[in-house]
This record gives sequence, structure tokens and C-alpha cells, in this order.
Amino acid sequence: MTPHPSRQPAGWRATLSLRERDWNWGSIAVLFLLAFVLWGYVVGPLVSTFWFSVDSGQGALAEYAPFLDFGSAQSEALRGSLYISVLSVITAGATGVFLAVLLNRWDFRFRRIYQALVLVPIALPPLMGVKAFYLLYGKGGTFPQLLGEFFHTSPLTFALQGISGVLLVHTMTMYPYFYLSVAASMAQTDDSLEEAASSLGASTRQTWTRVLLPMLTPPIVAGALLTFMSSMASYTAPLLFEVNNVMTVQIASNKESQPALASAVAVILAVISVIFLIVIRGYEQRGVYRTQSKGGARKRRWVTSSAAKVSLFAGALISTIILILPIAMIFLLAFSVDGSWRAGPLPSAYTMKNVVKIFSGAGSWGPIKNSVEMSAMAVACAIVLGVTSAYVTTRMRIRGRGIIDIAMMLPWALPGTVVAFNLIVAFAKPSMFSFGQVLIGTYWMVPLAYFVRFSPLIFRSTASSLTQLDPTLEEAARSLGSSWWGAFRRVVLPLVSSGIAGGVLLAFVAGFGEFVATIMLYTKFKDRPLSIAINDELNAGHWGTAACFGVVQVVLVLAVVILMRRVEDRGAIAHTS
Amino acid sequence: MNVLRLEELAKSFQRAGTVVDAVNLQVEDGEFFTLLGPSGCGKSTILRMIAGLEEPDSGRIFFEERDVTFDPPNKRGIGMVFQNYALFPHLSVAQNVAFGLEVRKASTPEIRKRTDAALRQVQLDSLGAARVDQLSGGQQQRVALARALVIRPKLLLLDEPLSNLDAKLRGETRAVLRAVHNSSGVTTIYVTHDQEEALGMSDRIAVLNAGKVHQVATPREIYERPATKFVADFIGRNNVIEAAVENVSENSAVIRFANGAKLKVHPQQRAVGVELKPLSRVGVCIRAESLRFTDENGICTGVLSDVEYSGSGYSCLVKTDLGDLKMEVPGSIQLPSRELTIRLDVIESAIHLVGVS
Repeated sequence: MTPHPSRQPAGWRATLSLRERDWNWGSIAVLFLLAFVLWGYVVGPLVSTFWFSVDSGQGALAEYAPFLDFGSAQSEALRGSLYISVLSVITAGATGVFLAVLLNRWDFRFRRIYQALVLVPIALPPLMGVKAFYLLYGKGGTFPQLLGEFFHTSPLTFALQGISGVLLVHTMTMYPYFYLSVAASMAQTDDSLEEAASSLGASTRQTWTRVLLPMLTPPIVAGALLTFMSSMASYTAPLLFEVNNVMTVQIASNKESQPALASAVAVILAVISVIFLIVIRGYEQRGVYRTQSKGGARKRRWVTSSAAKVSLFAGALISTIILILPIAMIFLLAFSVDGSWRAGPLPSAYTMKNVVKIFSGAGSWGPIKNSVEMSAMAVACAIVLGVTSAYVTTRMRIRGRGIIDIAMMLPWALPGTVVAFNLIVAFAKPSMFSFGQVLIGTYWMVPLAYFVRFSPLIFRSTASSLTQLDPTLEEAARSLGSSWWGAFRRVVLPLVSSGIAGGVLLAFVAGFGEFVATIMLYTKFKDRPLSIAINDELNAGHWGTAACFGVVQVVLVLAVVILMRRVEDRGAIAHTS
Repeated sequence: MNVLRLEELAKSFQRAGTVVDAVNLQVEDGEFFTLLGPSGCGKSTILRMIAGLEEPDSGRIFFEERDVTFDPPNKRGIGMVFQNYALFPHLSVAQNVAFGLEVRKASTPEIRKRTDAALRQVQLDSLGAARVDQLSGGQQQRVALARALVIRPKLLLLDEPLSNLDAKLRGETRAVLRAVHNSSGVTTIYVTHDQEEALGMSDRIAVLNAGKVHQVATPREIYERPATKFVADFIGRNNVIEAAVENVSENSAVIRFANGAKLKVHPQQRAVGVELKPLSRVGVCIRAESLRFTDENGICTGVLSDVEYSGSGYSCLVKTDLGDLKMEVPGSIQLPSRELTIRLDVIESAIHLVGVS
């Protein structure tokens, strides 16, 4: 590709001339390895699934025909997934936008506490968190029992079951997508637009409908896209609330009995996810609306009317309790005697035995150790892949860096179920990517899935640090006599290290709690990671032990959140240039 | 008839303390009125109270003798241009301009007609469909102006509208602002910290410091006859030298500087409230351009310490026995060598006396 010097900013031309000398055997080898890994473990398995789905011996598209037949199970699952996802976008959107506007526009008592608590759902562990919702609001749960007693009716009247249960979980775990994007967008604007509208004669209502809400459209759309994609990928909530007609559950339950059917469902789900990935990326490039003026920060309004004060306080109190309850339930369960919750709204007997057991019992350390090992191994490989591809896509001007970018982000968009299924299909036979071995049924499938699923997190955070890093810094190092490697090691790496660290922490936590892909891939009891141990204990009725493992996950997430804050503070120096 | 009257207006903030301190002002119909002062003097707060964006702690605001002190901004019929322009980023240029007409529920053809006319007035008629972030700073500024003018406000409020523009654009936009004011005749309140802008554009100026009005007068009077030492320091390149009054007669007063030099002035060459009686202390304002080199006695001696070439002449700093003095020298004059001791004299008729405190 011939560069167009006239269209490039001056900085790029300078970089390019340095870059041409970088075209040596070393960089070609790096690119070759990158292509090998991306094809072998990321893109290739998806293609294998596609070939598998059209190669069932009954005509190329036989497995896809049922999607068009309204009465078929596949069509029902597709509709079920879409239906739940649309509803989740609405409920999570309403909650997230409302909270973001409330907490970022007005000031009232305890606002700061509330603002910290609003992101608590992020700390909910994947499987145990959903179980906690079930135990609180589901069949036989705490609230249905309490309400049933109070109104003297059957607890079942108030139990959230099926789709309503899934929606509750989705709402409570996905509203942060809306909350974070809307809050960030509100931080970018200040009061002057509102004042301008008012000075031009707009009433309060007109200011809202014509200025404030339209301005929030980009973050709301961004939140909606993410929520939709996550809802389509959601597996645990439908599983626990027994909603079987969704695509993820259909893939998981048919993976052995009707693999061809499962592969077709996986392909359709993958296509939907990839479409959303492309839409999200297109949308990200449009950016958010910004207004800058001196002073900057938005002034919060103190709420003055006493009716508003009371309702805000009550509303904040109730929502806070709702937000904290699932985590509180996990902690409470951790100290309950296994099997002591037969009737009544809460467990009846408490003990320290569970805690003692998981920290002393020989078998109980196993799952924690397995999860740490698998996650650490996956993250170590993901650092190499993520950092290399981030550098290649942001700094090297080569043909096809857009393809590397999409390929890297692909597993992030794919549901865990689909990633796992792809790996099953791809590694059922020996190949050069598995060094001639059949990987299915071995220990290596789970860390491999973590590596594939969570590399994008490291890639993304590294790439965004690199984008913010002025390329002239690297050029300055080169001009002072440093080699490419020397400049990378002594200038680039230290400056993006906080970005890498952020991605690493996220990836490690995600791997530590991963359930959706793990349940499809693990085979041996002795290799079972934490999420599977929790699942086993839950199935065996040992809720106390499961909750104890859940507490370990919550504590780890909190530790990582605190660590991330530290890293971000230190990383601030990287962004001053 | 006055369009705007402020009566004992006061405002304090929790952190900043008293920002506006019992301000009284009157603005006449069609006037270009400027609030001038250093940052933090309260000028923007006064403007925001006029707009209804802040509520005063005490005092009253009257529009055409109607009390609007606690009316919301959207009921005041004002047009305001914000420092950062505050253009709505989700609307096109024309939609931004039409906003005020739409919320007033004007008819579609009228909105069209008036929006087009307003864009023409600020020379942006070809950019109606553009997105606001595609415009340059100067163009955004003019959209903000068109948006404020299209609603035919009784009062146009401009909050440091030129401070985000570069020097050349500032000059051009000043011309646009003046042309718009002349053609529309709208009463305009202009906030700035730039004395050059204020002197060049205003009919009258109110000079503010620390929430207090120091002087309200025409630009020429402010420049030539500052009311206080603050105004003298803030406007132009003034030297304010403390001196003592020696003797006073009906037609003249003799002033004695610390170095013993004496100067004769007319008693009218003083600000209101300055007492002229023997032994009282006064501040002598000597503008930089009214100092000149002399071979005779003059008022002081010194050496040239710093020279800046400004195109039309030189801006000099002279270290003298009366302290460091600023001096403007026309380009036609040969500057003395820096080693030489030089004598400075002053044009006596350009002297102005202010109080010292």
C-alpha cells in the first residue's frame, strides 16, 4: 500500500520513515506468529464450527432450515433470546439512565455512599451471584416467603420464575453498562447548554426533551448495544431460572446429542454477536458530545423541597438494600449449615465449618488452586498476544491491521458458550495447533478457552493506552540513539504498563470466575476449577460451601478493584503528553 | 428610558465570599454597555444574575422598570452568548439558531425566514446544514450570536465572547459584533477583562474590582480621568506615583514628588472625592505616552532598563528615582543609549490626580 503523504499528519510521515527500517526478519516473524495464533485459536475454531454445521450430510443448509420454521425448537430459541434481550435492554436501560441522571445531577444526603454502591453489581460473582438472586426472589426464596406469609397466600404468588427471573438478573447486572456510559457523558458536558436553552426561552420540560435527553442518545445507544449483546450471550441466568428456549442453553444441552444442530445455533448466535461488534465499533468512533468551558465540572443541584428529599432518601435506601442484598446473601449463606435451609425465609443454623473446611480440607483448596493456575496461565499467554497485537494495530502501518483488530475483538463479542463449542469442534481432531494431540478431555481445554476469551481485555486496554501515548516519544528515543527494542522497553512499555496491568487484572478476575465456557469444557473432577466446584456443591445442596467459594470470588474482585484504582492513579502520568 | 436597572445587587458564594457587593447600575436603551474588570471581580456573576442563571442574595433587577429579580431565565426575553458558545452539539447550525423560535412555538415559515435572516446577518448563510463541531471557533461564535439575536431579545448579554479566539479572529469578530449592534440597535451588555476591547466597542463602561463598581463612564473619560487608583492601574499603561499637595490656589495646585520635583496642575485635573489641600497625599497618574525625554530638569532621572519594539514605537521601562516608570516612545524618536542617565518630563495637561489608599 502506498501511503498518501498529503493525507497523513506530519507526525505519521516521520514515524513511517523510521518504520521502514523496522521491516526486518524480526518483525516479519512476529507478524507470522500473530497470524498463526489468531487463526489457530481464535478465528479458525469459529470457521470449523461453520464447516461442521454445513457438513452434516443432509445438504449444505439443512441445519439452518428450522430457523425459518416458526414451530421448530431452533426458531423458538432464537425468538426467546431476542425477546429476553430486548426486554433486558428496556429494563436495564430505564434503571441505569435513571440512576445516572439522579446521581450526577442532584445532590442529596448520602449521595456519595449511594454513588459507590451503585456499582456493587460488578462485584457479583458469575454463578454464585445469579444463585443469590434465585435464593432471594425465586421459588422458595426469601422474599416470596416473607410476602406470602404477610399476605397469607402461597409464596409462589410472589416468586420470580422463568423469564421474569432472568430479566431481574439481567437488569441488576447489566444496568452498569448504561450507568457508566451515561455518567461518563454527563461528566463531559457542563451546565452551559442547559443555561443556553433556558436563556433562549425553553421551559424546564423543553430543556429536558430538546437538549438534555437528546444529548444522552449516544451513551444510551452504546449501553443498549452492550446490554443486548450480553443478554444474547447470557447462559447462567436462563439455566438457573429454567428458561430452556434460549440459544445458549440450546447449544449447551445439544452439544453431544445433536452436535450439528448445536453448531448451527452457535453459528447464528455468532453472526448476531459479530454484527453487534461491528455496530458497536462503528458507534464508538462517533464519540460523545463534549462541551468545554472554564470551571469545567457540572454543578450538582441540592434538592430543596422536603417531599423530594424524603422520596429521594427512601428511594436511595430501598435501592441500596436491593443492590447489597445478593452479596449479603452470599456472605450469610457462607456461614450457614449445609442443608439447614429447608423452610423459612432464611437458613436456620449457622456455623464456621464451611470457612474452616475450604481453607483446611485437602480437596477444597483444589478448585481455588486450579482456578488460579488456569487463569494465570491463560493471562500469561494473553499478555504476549494482547500486547503484541495492540502494538501492531496501533503503531505499525501494515496492510491488514484492521483484520487483526477485528479478529482480536471477536472472542469478546462471542458468547462463552459459542467460544467453548468452537474449541470443542476444532480440537476434536489432532491439528498442528494442538501439536498433533486431541485436546478434548484434557486439562488444557479450559485454560485455552480463558486465553481466547480474555485476550481481548488485555488487547483493548493496551491499545487504548498506546493510542493516547504520543508517538513522538518513541521517535525521540530513537533519535537519541535507542534501538527499536530499546525504545519499546525503556519508553513505551513503562508508559503503557498501567494500561496492560488494568487489562491483566480484569482478565484474571474474569478467568477466576468463568463458568459458562468452563461447564462445557472441563472433564476431570481433579481438574475442576472454582466455578465448577460451586456448581457441584450447589447441585449437591451444599449451599454453604458454595457460598464460601463465592465469598472468595467477591473478595478477589474487590481486591482487584482497589488495585486497579492504584494502577489508574499511577497511570495518570502516561496521559499528560 | 433605562432598559435595565440594578439596585443594590449583592451575591456571595460559600467558598469565594462576597463576589458582588451592592452594585447599582443603569443601562439605557440601545446602549453598548461593558462590565470590565480582572477575573474574579464579579462581572460574570452580575451578568448571570441579569440572565436569571443566579439568584441575588439581595437587591433588585428591573427590566424596563419591571421587577424581574426572581423570574426564571426563560421568561426574561434575553439573548445570551456564552464564553464557550454552548452550542447544542446534537443540532445543526440552523437548528441551533431556530431553537429559541421553536420553543416559542413560532410558525414553520417564520422560523425559516428568521433563521435564514439571522445566519445572513452573521455571514453564515451557506453553513445552515453543517454540524456545529465542523465549524471553526470564529464561526461557532457567530452561530451563538445569531442564535441569541434571532429571538429579538430586549437585552443581548455577551460573556467574554472573544476570549477563546485568536488575535486576528478577535479583531474580525469585534467588527461583526459592532455591525450587528449598529444594525439591530439591541441593548447590549458585554463582559470582558480586556480593556482594549472595552474601550474600543463600548458606549459606556463600568469598571469593577472585588465586587464593587469603581467607575461608570464613557471609554474616553475612563481612560483620561480614572476615578480611582485601581481604574488608573487597570486601564492603559499608567504610572501612578504618590505625591504630596504643597499649595493650592483657585486656578492651580502644586504637587511635590518624593524626589523633590514639583508639578503644577489645574484643580480640575482630579477625580471626584480627591481632596486638594496642603500636605494631603494624592496619586499622580502619568500615562506611559505622556512621558518624554528632556534635556532640562524634568521630574525625574533614570536609566533605560528594558525596551520592547511594538511596531508603531517602543514600550520602555525606565528605572528612575521615582521608581520604575512605563513609557511609550514613538518610533520616530531615537532611543538614548542604555548607559546614559536620562531625564524625563511630563505633559502637565495630561496629569490626572486620584486618591491614594
